[in-house]
Amino acid sequence: MADNFLKTSRLDQFLETLRLFGELHAPTILESGVVSFAPLDDPTQLHLDYRRTQIPPKKYLLPFREEILHCHGGNYREGQSDAGDTVLFGIHSCDLEGIAYLDRVFMADAADPSYAARRARLTLVGVSCEPDDFCFCPEGMQSTSCDLFLNACADGFHLAGYSAKGQALLSAAAHLLETGEPVPPPALSAVCRAPEDPELRFSDHPLWQKYASTCVSCGACSVCCPTCYCFDVREYPVLSGGGTRIREWDNCLFASHGEVSGANFRPDRLDRLRYRFLHKFCGFTPLQGVNSCVGCGRCKAVCPVGIDLRELTVAPEQVQP
Amino acid sequence: MREHRHSPHVPYAAQLIDRRDLSEDTSLFRIAPEASALAELASFVPGQFVQLSVPGAGEVPISPADLPAADGTLELCVRRVGHVTELLHKLKPGARLGLRGPFGCGFPLGDMAGRPVLLLAGGLGIAPLRSLLIHLLRQRDRYGDITLMYGAKQPRLMLFREELAALAAGGGMRLYLTVDFAPEQQEGDYSCAVGLLPDLLKGFRFDAAATYAALCGPPPLYRCLVADLERAGVAAERILLSLERRMRCGVGRCCHCAIGQKLCCMDGPVFRASDLKGIPEAL
Ligand SMILES: Cc1cc2nc3c(=O)[nH]c(=O)nc-3n(C[C@H](O)[C@H](O)[C@H](O)COP(=O)(O)OP(=O)(O)OC[C@H]3O[C@@H](n4cnc5c(N)ncnc54)[C@H](O)[C@@H]3O)c2cc1C
Ligand code: SF4
Ligand code: SF4
Ligand code: FES
Repeated sequence: MADNFLKTSRLDQFLETLRLFGELHAPTILESGVVSFAPLDDPTQLHLDYRRTQIPPKKYLLPFREEILHCHGGNYREGQSDAGDTVLFGIHSCDLEGIAYLDRVFMADAADPSYAARRARLTLVGVSCEPDDFCFCPEGMQSTSCDLFLNACADGFHLAGYSAKGQALLSAAAHLLETGEPVPPPALSAVCRAPEDPELRFSDHPLWQKYASTCVSCGACSVCCPTCYCFDVREYPVLSGGGTRIREWDNCLFASHGEVSGANFRPDRLDRLRYRFLHKFCGFTPLQGVNSCVGCGRCKAVCPVGIDLRELTVAPEQVQP
Repeated sequence: MREHRHSPHVPYAAQLIDRRDLSEDTSLFRIAPEASALAELASFVPGQFVQLSVPGAGEVPISPADLPAADGTLELCVRRVGHVTELLHKLKPGARLGLRGPFGCGFPLGDMAGRPVLLLAGGLGIAPLRSLLIHLLRQRDRYGDITLMYGAKQPRLMLFREELAALAAGGGMRLYLTVDFAPEQQEGDYSCAVGLLPDLLKGFRFDAAATYAALCGPPPLYRCLVADLERAGVAAERILLSLERRMRCGVGRCCHCAIGQKLCCMDGPVFRASDLKGIPEAL
């Protein structure tokens, strides 16, 4: 099969072609120095040689806050997503796998309407990456959970389409592409190692105590995780009667998360760290047994006290308390 | 899996028909859902819950206290404890509400058939167990001995007292009531014991090997009752507990109701004690 090859010199033109499919968003550096997926108004803003954005692309599917319901005169009406067609260019494999996991949560069964609406308008274009010290996905992991994937090599990119949309992108850009040496088929998508000893999750391993004594419950690890999706729901009255129901990102590291009237099921930091570990590496119904850590390294990179829950995923005898 | 008519977010419209105050902070609300909700609600199994919306206030999970009536109305017994329930308690008949559900797993009625059933309710825990009791008594022949032990803090906080007494007088069940304490001047007025539920259980002779026990009450109660029941010979598989967590979505997505790796809104709220073993945060 002939391979689609894009020369680096034609990348700008390729990006212009992508704009035909929606508003183009890509990794950029903000004035603050933070790497962020943002609208790419000008191709010179593209920061393709990045390690990880601070906030993962989940923000395109689960906005920090959104209106899910309006109530007026006793009638309930679904909130409408205002998202337009968006092309997300330059996503790394870990983040693509993160989106694939969110799809399993929000698209299965009765799909979540706002998520599904946004997902349908999102085109995902992945790009290969260079790992750094924080990354720990299986070496050479290349996700196929995207419309199009660009595998970088010395003077350009090998392109592979994985969906009908991806094929449409390739056709639209055909005039920019040439035939190159075929690249070997990408490795099957996979996430990082599962805990060797799942019992560790409930054990009294001294590492838990160590973590709990330094964690400041800031919640950064969960905010920046591409597969952390838990949300809170609130309702606000409107002056004309009725109300607006919103949902917004919540955080299992906050003490309020395990509250019920008169009790809290996770009052201590240790309980809450263990809860996050359990959710990440062991999964909840109906995704029990599915490891949702995609190895992006964000949680370790942002933790102000250097906690690395991954230490718990290596064999217990190797763990230094 | 569940079929949603259009969106898992959008409640059916419902109307408050009637309310009856049961104690200073708890009332029984009769609610009429819109016609299109009835088919879904008719699948209700005791122990399942609905998400009740109070416009402008929010949504709370409530386990119906009765089976849906022939006209499709539902009875919800709600205690005033915070933001949403406070506003609910201010409403008058005719007020507009919203309803989603029923959600979750109720009591395993099929497995319970043919067996003695022991219901243990603490405080407001009587609400979900009342719908189970009504089901059991309506299909009286399908079950063995039915016993309800119900404990409240004080006589005036005991809900459905006359109604339960009337049901017991019908001969279909045994009823044991207890209060933590009875103010002295009232003591003689109430035909119930003074003590805790575990005390009642201690003196109770029953066929533990065959019995299904169904518990609903505050978390501390579970911790001692489950142990007592097991000691008495009831297998953990046959001890059923209705657990309470803060629920946001009701459909397994917000993760607010996690219990270990299970979600209370999907795998529960009714669990078997055997399924909760080894989960430190369960009880
Ligand atoms: C399966 C199940 C069955 C239950 N059955 C019953 C029953 O039969 N009877 C009964 O009385 N209780 C029942 N409960 C308990 C009942 O759900 C709680 O008492 C109720 O949720 C308390 O809500 P509240 O807003 O009044 O209290 P609060 O303590 O004020 O609020 C509870 C939560 O709602 C949040 N909240 C506050 N403001 C808003 C807002 N504007 N919008 C959205 N959320 C907000 C709070 O932050 C808090 O997290 C049941 C619970 C479960 C899980
Ligand atoms: S747990 Fe940490 S490394 Fe794993 S996906 Fe989440 S943020 Fe990335
Ligand atoms: S980022 Fe670190 S300190 Fe903050 S909540 Fe997570 S583990 Fe605790
Ligand atoms: S209530 Fe949202 S996951 Fe259970």
